[in-house]
Amino acid sequence: MKTTRRQRNVVIAAGFLLPNLLGFLVFTAGPVAFSLVMSLSNWNIQHTVPFQWTFLRNFVDLWHDQSFWLYFVNTIYLMLGLPLAIAGSLVLALLLSQNLRGITIYRTLFYLPSITSGIALMILWKALYNPDFGPINAVINWTLQTFHINGILHALFGTSVTPPQWLLATRNLLGLDVEKVGFLPAQWGLGARDAIIIMGIWIAVGGNNMLLYLAALTNLPQELVEAAQLDGAGKWAVFKNVTWPYLAPTTFFIVVMSFIGGLQGGFEQARVMTGGGPAGTTMTMSYYIYTKAFEEFQVGYASAVSWVLFIIIFIVTLINWRLSNKEVNY
Amino acid sequence: MKTAVITVLIVWILLSGVAWMLQPKPDDLSKTNLTWLSDDNPTRREQLGLFNRLNPQYNVRLDPVDTNTGGGMEKVIVQSIAGVGPDLFDSYGSYKLATYVKAGIAWDVTDELKNAGIDVKKDAWKLALSSVVYKGRVYGVPSNVGTPAIWFNKDLFDKYKVPYPKNVRTWKEFLPILQRLTIRDEHGRVKQYGFLCDSWMVTQFIWQWGGRTYTPDGTKCVIDSPEAIAGVQFFHDLMYKYHVMPTPNDEAAMATQGGWGSGTMTLFMGGKGAMALGGRYWLCSLRDIKELKLGAIECPYGPHKIYWGSSRVTIINKNSPRRKAALAFLKYLASHDYNELVNHQADCVSPMKAYCYTDKYMHDPDYPNEDFNAVWRDTNDYAMTEEVSPFINAQTAGRIVEKQLDLVRNNQKPATQAMKAAAREVNAEIQKNLDRDPNLRAEYDRLMGTKAK
Repeated sequence: MKTTRRQRNVVIAAGFLLPNLLGFLVFTAGPVAFSLVMSLSNWNIQHTVPFQWTFLRNFVDLWHDQSFWLYFVNTIYLMLGLPLAIAGSLVLALLLSQNLRGITIYRTLFYLPSITSGIALMILWKALYNPDFGPINAVINWTLQTFHINGILHALFGTSVTPPQWLLATRNLLGLDVEKVGFLPAQWGLGARDAIIIMGIWIAVGGNNMLLYLAALTNLPQELVEAAQLDGAGKWAVFKNVTWPYLAPTTFFIVVMSFIGGLQGGFEQARVMTGGGPAGTTMTMSYYIYTKAFEEFQVGYASAVSWVLFIIIFIVTLINWRLSNKEVNY
Repeated sequence: MKTAVITVLIVWILLSGVAWMLQPKPDDLSKTNLTWLSDDNPTRREQLGLFNRLNPQYNVRLDPVDTNTGGGMEKVIVQSIAGVGPDLFDSYGSYKLATYVKAGIAWDVTDELKNAGIDVKKDAWKLALSSVVYKGRVYGVPSNVGTPAIWFNKDLFDKYKVPYPKNVRTWKEFLPILQRLTIRDEHGRVKQYGFLCDSWMVTQFIWQWGGRTYTPDGTKCVIDSPEAIAGVQFFHDLMYKYHVMPTPNDEAAMATQGGWGSGTMTLFMGGKGAMALGGRYWLCSLRDIKELKLGAIECPYGPHKIYWGSSRVTIINKNSPRRKAALAFLKYLASHDYNELVNHQADCVSPMKAYCYTDKYMHDPDYPNEDFNAVWRDTNDYAMTEEVSPFINAQTAGRIVEKQLDLVRNNQKPATQAMKAAAREVNAEIQKNLDRDPNLRAEYDRLMGTKAK
C-alpha cells in the first residue's frame, strides 16, 4: 500500500513527539492517574494498616478534617498578597519600560531575586524578621521612638504598640483563629503569615510577572498612545484608556497563573522558615499533602487532598476565565 | 549568530570536560560497597574510616540525612519502596523500628547476631532495647545511647561568684541558682540566661511530674492529666514566671543558627546561658572551644527522677542484596574498637554498657579536664524512652501535641487548656483509626476488655 506524503509526515511528526509523549505518560499522566486511584484507598506505605479500597471515605474524612480547613484558610490568606504583587509588577514594568540610561542594569537588578536561590532568600528574610535584632523591627522601633508614637497613642487612646514578632507570632491582619476556622479578635496583628506574604510580594514584584508586563509594554503600539495624546489625554488617561486595556490579556494570564501558583504554594517558605508553625499557622495545603504523604505516610489520604486541591484550582481557574474574559478585549 | 553558536559549543565542551574530570571515582569493585544512611555529624566519618580500615574487604559509604528534621525515615521508606534503599540505616525509637518492621524494610537479625556471639539484650543499655527489639526479635545493633544532663560553664559561675552546682537534686533546689545566673543589662534585657533547654524536652518535664502521653497499653492519650499539665506548666514558668530560660521569641532574638547539634548548644557555646540541658554528644562541638571550662551534673527532677533517654540503632535493609555483608558492620558496632571510639569521640556513650565502666571511659588521657563522664553514664539508669501508641501514627500525634505545646511555649494558651485540647484531638484520631481498621479495633477491644476485668 502506498503511503501519501501527508501520512509520512504524520509518522515523522509522531516520531519526534514520541519521546516527549512517553515521558509525559510515564512521569506525569501515569502518576496523576495513579494518585486518583490511590485516593480511593487507605494506602499507607508504612503498612501499619492492611490495604483496602475505601472509595470515597478519604474525601468524607477530609470534609470533617479540621486541619485541612485550617490549612486551606492559611493558603487563601497567603494569597492575599497576590493583588499587591501583580500591581507592583505592573508599576515596576511601567518604570522599567522608560527610555532611560542604564535601564538594562535596573532591569537586571530588579529581576535578581527571581534568579537567586529561593532558600538563600528565605534564610535572608528570616534574619530580617528577627524580632529583636532584625533590621525591620529596628526601623519600626526607631520610628516609634523618634516620633513618640507610643506617647501619642497612650495620650489619645490609652494604648501603645510594639513591633511584631513576625515568624514567631500566630497573629494576622484578619484576626483568624489558630485552632478553628473563624475569627478571634485577640489574634489581630502581624505574624508569620503576614511575614511570608511581605516576602512573597518582594520576590514577585520583580519576577516573571514584571517581565511579562515589560514584554507587553514593549509591543504597545505607539500610534495609539500618540493618537490619545493628540486628543489631549494626560498620562493617567493614556494609561487608563490605552495601556491598561492593551495589557488585559497579559493581566488575565498573570492573574490565572498567580491563582494557580498561590493555591499550590507556600511549601518552601513553610519548610525553610517556619516548619509550618507557629502552631500550624503557615501550613498550606501543599505542605499538608507533603506531611500526610511523607511524614505520616498516609499516601491514600494525601492523594485525596491533592485531588481536592486540583478541583479547587480547576474551579477557581474556571471562574477566573469566565470573569476575566469579559474584560479582555484585545 | 554563527560566532555565538560556536562560542556556546566550545564552552559546553569545556564544561563537559571539567565535569568529566570532577566525576567521582568508580567504586573499587574488589570490595563490597555498602551504604549507611546516617546523620553527617563530625564523628560519623571517623567511625566509618575505622570500619573500612579494620575490614579492607568492605567499603562503607555515608548517605547523609538530616535526622533533626526527621528526614531519615522518609528517605529510607521512599528509597526502599523504589528499590534503591540503603544497605544500612539508622533508626531512633520504638515507633520507627515498628514502622520499618511493618513496612518490610528491617531485617530480623536475631539468629545472625546469636551466631556471631552478640547478645544485644544482655550487653546493650536497657534504654536502647525498645529501639532495637520488636516483639522479642532483634532488628539491629545500637550505635550509641544518650540521656541529657546539665552542662555548666565554669567561667560564668566564677564571674558571678556562684559556687559550682553540687548535689542539686530537685528543680526547687535548682531554681535559685538559675535565677542568680540570669543576668540583665542596664535596660533590663536579659544578656545571659541561667538555663537553656530545647523546646522538645518538655516531655521530660511531663514525665518528671508524673504525667504520661498515653496509658500503658496505648489505648488512650492522657497528656491532659493533672501531672502532665503540671510538668508543662513548670516548663512554661521557667520562661514566663521565673524568667530563667529564654522564650522562643528570646531564642530567635539571640540568633540561634541550628545546624548540626542544636540551637540550644549554639547559645550555650556563645555564652548566652550559664547552664544547658544537653547530651554528651555536645562535646563533639564544645571541645573545639578550647577556652570553655565545662562541668556537668545530673539534671534536676520533679516528683519523679526520670530522664529522656534515646538510642540510635543501625538496622540492615531486608531488601538489600548485600545484607549478609552488612552484618559485618553490625558486628563492628558491638565491638571493642567501635565502642571505645564512640566513648572517645563523645558521640553520646557507647551502646554496650560495659565500655562505660572502664578507667579509660572515666579518664580519657586525651581530655584530662573531662572529669564528668560518670554523669552521662549514670543518668542512663533513670532514662525512659519515647511513648507510643499502636493506635495512632506517632507523627500525627506529634503534630497535634506539638501545635498545642507551641501555643503554650508562646504564652498564647494556658497549659491546662492546651493539653486538654491535645488529648481530645489525639483520642479522636485514635477513634478514627479504629473505625478504619478492623484489626486495630479488635486489638483495642481486647485491651479494653482486659482492662475491664
